Amino acid sequence: MRPLLALMLLLQAFHSTLAHAAERHLELVVTQPYLEMHSGPGRGFPVVYVAERDELITVLYSRTEWYKIRAPHGQEGWVRRTDLALTTLTSGEPAPIPPYPVFSTHQWEVGAGYGVYNRQNLVTAYADYSLTDSIDAEFVVQQALGTLDNRYVTTIGLRHTFVPEWKWFSPTAGLGTGYQYIEDKVPPAPLEKSNQMAYVSLGARGFITRRFMWRADWRHYVVFNNLNVSEELEEWKLGFAVFF
Amino acid sequence: METRLCSVLLAAALLAGCSWFHRGEQAPTQIVAEEPQGEPAVIEPQVNRREVKTPKIKAKDFEVGAYFGALSIEDFGTNPIYGIRAAYHVSEDIFLEGFAAYSKAGQSSLEEVFPQITVLSNSGRQFTYYDLDVGYNVLPGEIFLGRGHAFNSALYVTVGIGDVKFASQDQFALNFGVGTRILITDWLALHMDVRDHVFESDLFGVDKNVHNIEATLGLTTFF
Repeated sequence: MRPLLALMLLLQAFHSTLAHAAERHLELVVTQPYLEMHSGPGRGFPVVYVAERDELITVLYSRTEWYKIRAPHGQEGWVRRTDLALTTLTSGEPAPIPPYPVFSTHQWEVGAGYGVYNRQNLVTAYADYSLTDSIDAEFVVQQALGTLDNRYVTTIGLRHTFVPEWKWFSPTAGLGTGYQYIEDKVPPAPLEKSNQMAYVSLGARGFITRRFMWRADWRHYVVFNNLNVSEELEEWKLGFAVFF
Repeated sequence: METRLCSVLLAAALLAGCSWFHRGEQAPTQIVAEEPQGEPAVIEPQVNRREVKTPKIKAKDFEVGAYFGALSIEDFGTNPIYGIRAAYHVSEDIFLEGFAAYSKAGQSSLEEVFPQITVLSNSGRQFTYYDLDVGYNVLPGEIFLGRGHAFNSALYVTVGIGDVKFASQDQFALNFGVGTRILITDWLALHMDVRDHVFESDLFGVDKNVHNIEATLGLTTFF
């Protein structure tokens, strides 16, 4: 029980350090006949209080698409994003609820997934930044786990989305360069452990919900080495990502 | 001549009509304050526009914490495990989570029966893993403690992939889990999880899928 208590104290200290940063809260006026406040941030939680029209509510913080608010008499509850968007500032302007990023024009993607690289199981993680609506710069870190060796691969490249407006399925193509490091498990040891590579890729992406999306990629690598024949590798992978 | 006279009269009538329609509208009169030449104004208006900064709403979608519990390593007994976890909540249903943990295997049953046999070295007994998971809140709800306390909770399932390092070798591992998140406060959550790490092992000479089930208790904070 002692580690649990120590952890609780540590988390308390961590949380209170962060909490000091934002002490001013947004105040909004209810303009609809009523505003339902739920006991939790989810569709099934019961309504525990109803704020009336013209009441001033305080927005404390958000979690996913729900906002924790405080009514004038101190009652607290969770309000759905779409309901809160109908309130206004005290000046009468619309409530500044930040919109969800539009999928076709989002800036950042961070994701992870599963794949097969050189017939080895692959764990992949990536970050992607949009240079334009259709061209992204992507950075990938991955670990391929096989029976003969494990390989660590990191790449940087450009990816073109042909029709960014296509929401559910949009094909992509890319190219880039990177390094692979081989950690041998079974003798004989590889002739070269670290090599530079270049790749071309074909893939697709699609929207799932809110900030959530899927990505699929096929890549063909050429490994630059000092041997007579350059090694060529194939990879495919499927992953999920969050976009901002 | 007569035609020209008619058109002049018609134009005059139209103008009169127009002025009749616009009779309600006053021509804007400009009041120009006459300032004496060469003398400064009595009061210089110095009005600084007040910049109204609307406070931003803090999003608390991230969750970090630690956990401990028991890990049953197949063929090597049940041992304590310590780990850290971080999650991002995408929607009220879906979250992405990462785990990293450490444990140390005990004696295998073979070693217990034949103490002279050593299957693994001391460093080979270290069991570490990382996982990248997708989670789904299957049964969100409330847990009641007596009459006066209700805590928001969720029963969730997770599935993911990762790497297990055991017997000094990295192995690709799948993991399946089920857990409960109980929110003690809005920022502090208690987790109870059961998760199975499955990977292929040939430690005893035969390739087989080994199941390593852990039961853990953890605390996380939202920020």
